Amino acid sequence: MKQGFRQSMAWMHTWSGLVVGWVLFAVFVTGTASYYRAEISRWMQPELRREAAITPETLAASADLAVAHLQAHAGGARMWFVTLPTPERPLVELFWRNRPGTPPGHVLLDPQSGAPAEMRATRGGDFFYRFHFELNLPPLWGRWIVGICAMVMLVALVSGIVTHRRIFSDFFTLRRDKAAQRGWLDAHNVSGVLALPFHLMITYTGVVTLAIMYMPWGVTAAYRGDQQAFFAETGQVTRNRPPAGEPGTLAPVGPMVAKALATIPEPLERLSILNPRDANSTVVAVFEEPHGLSHQHPQVAFAGTSGTVVEVLSGGLRPAAKTFTTMVGLHEAHFAGAALRGLFFLCGLLGCAMVGSGLVLWTVARLPKSGVAAGFGWRLVHTLNLGTIAGLPAGIAAYLLANRLLPLDLAGRAEREVWVFFGAWIAVAVAGAWPAPRRAWRGALALVAALFVAVVLADVATARALWDDPAWFLGFDAALLALAAGFASISYKVARFAAPRRARRAADAPAAAPQMGRA
Amino acid sequence: MTLLVGLGLSFLGLAALCLSMARHHQAVWPGPPDRQRVLALRAAGWVLIALSLVAAIRLDGWNFGPVDWLGSLIGAGLVLIVVQSYRPRALLWMVPAAAAVAVAAALGSLA
Repeated sequence: MKQGFRQSMAWMHTWSGLVVGWVLFAVFVTGTASYYRAEISRWMQPELRREAAITPETLAASADLAVAHLQAHAGGARMWFVTLPTPERPLVELFWRNRPGTPPGHVLLDPQSGAPAEMRATRGGDFFYRFHFELNLPPLWGRWIVGICAMVMLVALVSGIVTHRRIFSDFFTLRRDKAAQRGWLDAHNVSGVLALPFHLMITYTGVVTLAIMYMPWGVTAAYRGDQQAFFAETGQVTRNRPPAGEPGTLAPVGPMVAKALATIPEPLERLSILNPRDANSTVVAVFEEPHGLSHQHPQVAFAGTSGTVVEVLSGGLRPAAKTFTTMVGLHEAHFAGAALRGLFFLCGLLGCAMVGSGLVLWTVARLPKSGVAAGFGWRLVHTLNLGTIAGLPAGIAAYLLANRLLPLDLAGRAEREVWVFFGAWIAVAVAGAWPAPRRAWRGALALVAALFVAVVLADVATARALWDDPAWFLGFDAALLALAAGFASISYKVARFAAPRRARRAADAPAAAPQMGRA
Repeated sequence: MTLLVGLGLSFLGLAALCLSMARHHQAVWPGPPDRQRVLALRAAGWVLIALSLVAAIRLDGWNFGPVDWLGSLIGAGLVLIVVQSYRPRALLWMVPAAAAVAVAAALGSLA
């Protein structure tokens, strides 16, 4: 090695970070938003009315009603999933998987009437959640791309720690009175070092979540590739009951729900019904996780035709499986109350800041000299940076705006919202190729701020009459306004930033030369 | 409650470590700290951070304690860095405020 170890690591950090940075930024932003997935979904369906409590009788009746609907509309499906009503979301959500190659079915029912619920169609916060690890691509593609990027992120994190020679002495340093490059480097260091335990944890556990997919060889060798058998043997799911191939009749599920509720003290979350018209059908009642770090849903499995309990899964994982579920639990942070969730969200924002400032730093450190035209590489990185860092938030704001402004009876409404999300993102990315970089940044960030303000205005104008808890909706809108204020102040700073006098004089020397931005 | 105790103690600890450095000391008081002061601030900083970990584990157990501790350490660190970068002299009233919050929250969670 001709160079020193630290220089090699610096090279590694720069290029590994740049190559995956754009995908990582999107993954960090949507992942951070996913901490408030349920809240985003609630905001996007203001028609929802919450209830004080759901009695066991209502749960049993809802399950019967759900199965009646599925028998009538999805008799040929291989699997039925029934999400039961909760006080926060008193709806019955049905999802069914048909033959491979045909699209799955989905419907929301009102548990009182059994009719489809009167709600605007939307993918809500689930869209961000799925985007976080699938990028809205076919699942296999998306998960591989995100996984590879996360693995490279681990490389970038470790090489970044080696590269940073003053971790402790610069721990509290955020200089704003020096050259732009110094300021961006400080911002990158502070956001990276301060939340380093979070960054390492979230990246590592993120890869672990899908480890069986990325490294299937153990399961391939020991279980002949039967992942269900592996998960069942490690106690994470109930044992698979293959179809008998003979027709059978599903027993009433109401009594099964009552029996399951008597077995497990946690709230009941959903029912999975496998091979519903087979003689060997299975009903699995899946409960919410007990309070703890481990992501582990208690489950009770019933033989579908007789309604007898065939298996109860509740705790009792072996150390390896427990390690896995604890890592998944840490990643998802379902255990976190409001305050701790806020801190996780803050750490997620620091992650976004770390990736974003790193991307910007690449262009700032390589700013073309005054009077020299920027090379293709610099322009490409700059355009992708702007397209991602301003484009994605613009897409998110446009997605929320579409939720309030698209006609409620529009066919394929939920998918149209997603189109608006990508449309706004692409539009900002294309406009970001504007030849004056600083003005492009300033305009794009101001646009993001304006879009978030527009979301709040549209919410108050169109949905105010629907709010079941005005304080809650106003709180959500206040959070959106805070985001808008953040983007507006960055836009203002980009416009106002002046390099220290020494640097500026050098840059200004050929007065006629076009000025490059220093964002 | 645990988070408030953690936030207060980690803020105090990190502030002491921060002020033990010449650059940050000069932003609040005239001149760099002398040797004795550096050592005293450093010792106080590490003791307070250790104390915040002990408090988190005592209040929330071994499962959630470390998670709460790291969360509050990062949150307090962010507040401290922003404050000492924009308004370093605000530390003069924020330090007693953090101490008051930590003590009040600790008493509250014992009661």
